[in-house]
Parts: sequence; C-alpha cells; structure tokens
Amino acid sequence: MKTVVCVKQVAALGDEVEIDDSGRDVDHDYLESSLNEWDVFALEEALRLKESLDGQDGHEVVVVTVGDEECEQALRRCLAMGADRAIRVEAGGIDESDPLTTARRLAGIIGREVPDLVLCGVQSSDAVQAATGVMLAELAGLPRVAVVTSVHYDATSAKAQVHRELEGGLLDEVEVGMPALLTIQTGINEPRYANLRAIKQANAKEIEVVNVPSEGPRAYTVRKMFVPEKGDGAEMLGSDAAVVAARIAEIVRARLS
Amino acid sequence: MGETRSVFWGLSRAEIVVWYGLIVVSTAIFAVGVAMLVSKYRAGRREPLRDLGQRALRMLHIVFSHTWIRRRDRVAGLGHAMVFYGFLVLFAGTTILGIDTDITKPIFHTNFWTGPFYLAFKVALDLGGLFLLAGLVLLGANRWIRRVPRLDYRRPDRAQGEYDRGLYRAGDVVFVTTLFTLAITGFFLEGTWLAVTHPSFADWSFVGWVLMELFRSAGFTGHAAELSHHVIWWVHGVAAEAFVASIPFTKAVHMLAAPANVALRDTDAGKRLVALPADAEPDQVGYSLVTDLLRHQLLSLDACTKCGKCTDACPAAAAGYPLSPRDLILDLREAAEATLGAHSFLRAAGAPGLDREVLGTTIRAETLWSCTQCMACVEICPVGIEHVPIINQFRRQLVERGELEPMLQSSFETLFKAGNSFGEPKRKRGRWTDGLDFEVKDIRKEPAELLWFVGDYASFDPRSQRVSQALATVLHHAGVDFGILRDGERSAGCDVRRAGEEGLYATLAEANIAAINACDFERVFSSDPHSFHTLKNEYPAFGGDWNVVHHSELLLELVESGRLIPRRRLGYRATYHDPCMLGRYNGVFEAPRRLLAAIGVDLVEMPRNRDNSLCCGAGGGRIWMKEQRAEGSRRTSEQRIDEATALGRLDYFVVACPKDVTMYSDAIKTSGHEGEIELREITELVLESLGIPGGSESEVAETRAGR
Ligand code: SF4
Ligand code: SF4
Repeated sequence: MKTVVCVKQVAALGDEVEIDDSGRDVDHDYLESSLNEWDVFALEEALRLKESLDGQDGHEVVVVTVGDEECEQALRRCLAMGADRAIRVEAGGIDESDPLTTARRLAGIIGREVPDLVLCGVQSSDAVQAATGVMLAELAGLPRVAVVTSVHYDATSAKAQVHRELEGGLLDEVEVGMPALLTIQTGINEPRYANLRAIKQANAKEIEVVNVPSEGPRAYTVRKMFVPEKGDGAEMLGSDAAVVAARIAEIVRARLS
Repeated sequence: MGETRSVFWGLSRAEIVVWYGLIVVSTAIFAVGVAMLVSKYRAGRREPLRDLGQRALRMLHIVFSHTWIRRRDRVAGLGHAMVFYGFLVLFAGTTILGIDTDITKPIFHTNFWTGPFYLAFKVALDLGGLFLLAGLVLLGANRWIRRVPRLDYRRPDRAQGEYDRGLYRAGDVVFVTTLFTLAITGFFLEGTWLAVTHPSFADWSFVGWVLMELFRSAGFTGHAAELSHHVIWWVHGVAAEAFVASIPFTKAVHMLAAPANVALRDTDAGKRLVALPADAEPDQVGYSLVTDLLRHQLLSLDACTKCGKCTDACPAAAAGYPLSPRDLILDLREAAEATLGAHSFLRAAGAPGLDREVLGTTIRAETLWSCTQCMACVEICPVGIEHVPIINQFRRQLVERGELEPMLQSSFETLFKAGNSFGEPKRKRGRWTDGLDFEVKDIRKEPAELLWFVGDYASFDPRSQRVSQALATVLHHAGVDFGILRDGERSAGCDVRRAGEEGLYATLAEANIAAINACDFERVFSSDPHSFHTLKNEYPAFGGDWNVVHHSELLLELVESGRLIPRRRLGYRATYHDPCMLGRYNGVFEAPRRLLAAIGVDLVEMPRNRDNSLCCGAGGGRIWMKEQRAEGSRRTSEQRIDEATALGRLDYFVVACPKDVTMYSDAIKTSGHEGEIELREITELVLESLGIPGGSESEVAETRAGR
C-alpha cells in the first residue's frame, strides 16, 4: 500500500509584524515556520496505517509539499517522524500560493505516484481555507472524505470505515474504497515525537525536487496585505482594577437587560 | 593425639560415603547455578572493564567496612555485620576443617586440627556462631517485630492485588531459618559430643560447654546423647549442603552478586550519562530489551536484597507516583531470570521464544516518566545498583519511538525551536539585566574573568530573575569581573538529557560549547545547579572542559577571601534545602552552609539533609510533565515544607536553585503553611547582609512582594 501525505510548511507570526516592501506579504523575517499541525496528524495516521499492515511488502509513506527550498524543513520533520520518501514541488512567491495552483501541482504528483490513499490535513493554520485537499481530490479524480476523525482500514477489501466530523458534534460514518483522499482533523491520534537524532539523520536524506507546471486560473490573487485599523468596535478598559471591574459589571448589566 | 575431635565421629563407613556423595552433588548444583548466572549476565551488552585491581580493593573496603550497609539503619547495619562476620568465621572454620580432613590428613598423613590451634579455633567458631545467631535475631526483629516500613513489600507503583510478593516473603523466611538452623545445630552438635566424651578441654568451646553442662545435669549423656549427635550431625550437614546448593537460586545469591557488583559498577553511575554513538541504529538507542542492559547491570539485579532503602528515599514513591525503584529492579530481575536465567534453562525449549522486550510491558512508560533522576536511590543502595542510568536508557528508547508524555513533547519542541523551555525569543535572554544600574558585560564581545552561565530559569522566570539581579549586584559590589552570553546561551540541556532526549541535548550542548569556547574567560560559574552539573560533568565529553563552580561556592570564596564583607549579621533562623544536582550529584554540601554561617544565619537542619535531601519533584524533566500523583498524596515539595515547618519557628526556607525557588514558593502556598515560613534564595540573603543600596529592607520587601 502506498500512501501520499500532502504537507505544508506554515508561517506563524512572532510578537511583532511588518509588511514587506511589496505591500502584499508579511516580511519573512517576522515569521516563524513549522510543519502545519493538521498535517502532523495526517502523517501520523499514515504511519500508523503502515505499521498496522506491517509484515506485508511494499508499504510506503511518501510526503509531498509545494514550495521553495525553505519548505524542505517541513519534509525533514516528516522524514524524522518516519516517512519513507519526500518530494518537493518547486513553487515560490505569493502569486503561486493559492489553493488551486497548489492542488494542480499536487495532482501532478498523484498522477505520477498512483497511491492507494492520499491524506491531507483539513486546513493549514496560516491560510485556514480548507480548500487544497478537496480541490486536489477533484483534480486527481479521487473520492474524498473531509474532516476525518477516525480511519479503520481493512486490507482484504481495500476499504476504509471513516468517521467524519459534522457540525454540532455529530459524526458521520462512511465507507470508502481505495484509492481515495481523506482530509484529516486534529486529535485523530497522538502524533509521535520527532526526536533530534531522527531529525539529524533526516537532514542527510535526499529530497526529490520536481517541477510541475500549473496552468490555468488561480483561486485568487493577493493585491494588498495590511494590518487592519483599530476600529471603534472595542472599548479598551485600562487603568485601575476596581474601575475596570465596575465598568465590566456595567456593560454586562446593560447587555443582559 | 591431644585435643581434637573426629569430624566423622560415630558415623559408619557407608554414611561417610553418602556424605561425600552429597558434597559432590551440592557443589555441582552450586557450580551449575553459578554458570547459569554467568551465562545470563553475558547476554547483556558488552562493556569495557578497567582497573580491576583497584575495583577489587574498593569492593573489599566497602564490603568489610559495611559503610554502605549500615547507612540510615544502624540496627540493620549491626545485624548484618554480625551475620556477615559470624558467617565468615564459620565458613572459614569449615574450610580449614575440610582442608585438614580431606587434604592434609589423607595426603600428608598429618593433622593440624589439634592442640592449641584446635582450641583457639573452637573459641573463634563459638564466637562466630553466637554473632551469627544474634545478628539473625536482630535482622529478624527488624523485619518481623519492628516491622520497618521499607521492608514491607507494598508497591507504590501498582494497585493492590495487582502483584504478589508471597514468594519473596517466603524466601526471606527460608533464608533466615536456614542460617539459624545451621548455627543452632552446630552448637548442639558440639554440646552432645562434649556430653558424651566429656574431654578435659570442653570449656574452650564455651557455648558447647554450656550446652554440655545442661545435658549432663539433665542426665542426657551416653547413648541418648550419642544418638542425638548422630541425628543432628545429619541435619546440620544436609542443611549446610542444601544451603550451598541453593545460593545461586535464592536470596543468598546476593552473597556473590553484591560484592561483584560493588566491584564492577560504574563509579559515576548516573552522574555522567553516556553519550549515544552517532551511528546508533534505532533499536540500539537506549534500552527496550532486558538484554540491552550492560552485563554488570544484569548482575546488579541479582545483587538486590530488596532492602527497600531506594524506594524509601524515592520522592516519586513518596508522592504516590507509579514508581518504586526497588520494584523496577525486581521486575527487571524477574524478566532476566525468566528469559535468560535458570528458569529458562529448565524450560529449555521454550526459552528463546520468551519475550525479552520489557519496555512498555513489564516496565511501564508511566513508571519511567515518574522519575526525577534525583539519585537518592543510587546514592543509598547498599549494593551499588544503578537505577538512574537504567531508567534514563529506557527513556531514551521511548523518545526514539516518539512515545512521549504529551507536555514533555511540546516542551522539547519549544526547546528545539527557541533554545529555551519558556518559548521566549533568544534576544530576550539577557533582558533581566535591564533593571540593574550597571552594565553586565557581554562576554562574547569583551573578555572577563568569570563567565556566568545563567540558565533558562534564572533568565526567564520572573521570580528567579530577581535572584539573578541580586547575584549580579553582589558580584558587582565585590568588584568581580564577570560577563554573560546573552542570546548566545541556550538551555544547558541537563533535564533534556535526563528526560532521555539525547539528540536534543547534544544539539544544545554543542551550541553552548561553541559559544563558550569562543569567549575569553578563566572560570565558569552557574547559579543553576542543573546547568552547573551538566557543564561541569557532562560537557567535557562533548568538548567543553572548563573549571566550573556553583555560585554558592563562588560567593563563599569571595567572603572568605575578604572581597565580600557581610556588614550585617542577619540573625535569622533558617533551614537549607540541598538541591539534588548540587548536593548528591556533586557533593557540594558545605559551601552554602558555611556561607549562611558567615552572614549570621542560624541554620536549623531538616531531618533529611545533605545526601538524604528530598527532591523537590522538578528534576529529570518532571517540571515539563503532568503530575501523576496518587489521589490524596502530598507533593514532595509540600512534604518538604511540612518537614521544615515542623522544626519550629523559622524565618526562611533557603534554597540555592531556581527550580527550587519556583517549586517551594508554590509549595509554601499550597501546603497550607503560608505565613509560617518564607522562601529565600541564598544570594538574596548575602545581598541583604552587605548593607548596600539594592539590598536594603525596602527593596528586599519589594522582591518578596514580587513573588
Ligand atoms: S532517581 Fe529519584 S525519583 Fe528516580 S527512582 Fe531514584 S529515587 Fe526515585
Ligand atoms: S535496589 Fe538496592 S536499595 Fe533498592 S532494594 Fe535493592 S538493594 Fe535495596
């Protein structure tokens, strides 16, 4: 069984933020990057699946990302956790980061690798669109189940029983035949720790870099990025604790009446 | 022929033949048993053995002086010494007798077991027998009448009913009774013989003589006594043979394994953890199989006498965590025995199929994570068992597998990303100096006499930052030339290593070593015992070899050399808590005490002080993990405050470690003793004693309020 896990190196804001000279992106000096949290759960699920099938040949977990060389960090973390192989699809810049462009590139890899199962995180913590995974399923012609909270794979029938999360705490139980694409929700498992020894060893492993063209429209184009003006919506309660407490009580009373 | 007695007095030829047959059988069983033990130990990982001569001498000293055995329980120590020496004399006597009977007599046709030698021998043997008996009574009383709690087999790491220590209990009874029987029958043998033959030299065997007199006054002589002698002879003889044969298989094995372990153990066990080879395969990282233990560690398992001193000293066990160092060792021993030892031999065919994998099964992850690596167990173990490095090796394999306590996992990730456990940006590391009215040198830019390794807690924790400021003020006042690394410093990694993340430790250590080696200085000091310990003892293996001292040593040095003059005798009554990493790990017990004396603090010791100090519960990476306390149990830090407040009215609970500052500030509040005692870091008292601005009452009060 071959599983492809699509991952993303996400950016997190530090204490301070600056917009870069183009006015369309955050200055990268103010960003800290890491492997997207949802993708960690997706990879863990793939690794567990592989381990549960241990003893049969040819199980492989391949991780793929789209981005510049910086993004190899995320792939290394995946290799340290136990992924067998890593592929980076070349891309760069704010204009190539929309979900449709990314999904098209990933679809190229899916076409080449022909996996039995594709796992993505539900969404990325920086863009929070939950779009890439489902777009990829469409482009790759795979059935998809989104926001999955548990997977039980049956090797003989090549089918999986999955739970997906609905609104209001409801769960939907679905059976899906392979190949398929699942977007994985956080909390589905307890991801293993990628220890430093493994990370160091992963640094020595080779990452395949490929070019996949992405022709066609974009999902969107970023025109301007800015820190929103402080509106009137919030009232700042400064000063003395007693004064603040009195003011809060006043507001609460007003809202309740 | 003079004064002597025939060994086989009253025995027929056939009986003598049977006797020799028994000797052969029991010796063979003993030999096979020992061979099985050796083959069991050889299944462990190989290790180099150096300085065997020196090790043997050290072992003889420790064994014969009983220094380790008598610690923290004089009664047991005395009892054991009496049994040990009594047994030794009797054993020597039997050996001499054997040589006389079976070697010198048949070969050289001469007999040295006669005359004055025989008489002296009798006195010595009777004394030895008495010692043995008295010792056994003492030990038995300790166990069964005084009921010393550490000797009960209650396991804090398992629920009641989940384990059965019945076999161990039975083993104790058998062991004591066998020795008792041997000694008693020995005396009766002598008494009955004397009662029958009544030789002129009878009173030399003074115990036998008393018995003889008793027998004779009761009219128990002649044939009746002779017959009894005959029966007792066999009981004594068979008991002795059975005992010899059983040594490798019972509690008695400690007679062999304990001295061997004391000789072979790593003298730095636990203190300097061994680095992982860079090319280690995942299954070679740490321990998961019982055969991953080093050979001498497998041997050490058999040395355990179940004395319970380790569990008695263990802070995790005291707070109801699922850990008992004794039972950890016994579980490992049972696993080793079942898969590699005599039991597996007896089951011959089944042996290789048995599960040697103990991690996660016999040895539970929650047990391993409970340990604070405080070293109390290793320090007190009378037979030199190395719980700390063994636990650490198992943790390494858990980390390798990625099976971590969730909070610990995120702490490691933070440490990896930020270089400190607080998740603070590197550039904020030196911010605590902002509140000072003088500049603290950046030692990366200008040389200084002393490099201060501040550590995470003292750099980022708000309460400990005040201590750092106090220390900087004191040093500045004394005109000491010092500097800090600012954002060049990372977490020292001591607790990372103790928690088993060796890769991260190496990364942090290498970064620090590179940073420090690039600076110009003479000595290093740290105000954090964890950093101090690992810099001093563990960094050398990674290429960082400097003269490292703790700030309490540095301050004492300054006071004693007159560079720092305490102008005010503080006159406080206080107690002092020894941090594990400073005290047990590095033997720095007196410097803080002398420092307190020098500034006029009246020190009242807690019952558990110095080597017996009780860990605050934060070490070994525990500070980054969720509490696993049993319901209703008190934290060790709270137990410690109970201990301190029980000493009567004290002004301060004095500590010398930033983690202690945090742990005990909290514990004073949560233990219900708030207002009875206050916490002070030793530096703060030193500052106060100087009577300078910055150390005045009002500012000190502000420090207190800021807690
Ligand atoms: S090191 Fe301390 S916490 Fe760990 S087992 Fe030993 S005594 Fe217990
Ligand atoms: S390990 Fe040492 S201290 Fe603990 S019970 Fe065994 S002999 Fe005693």
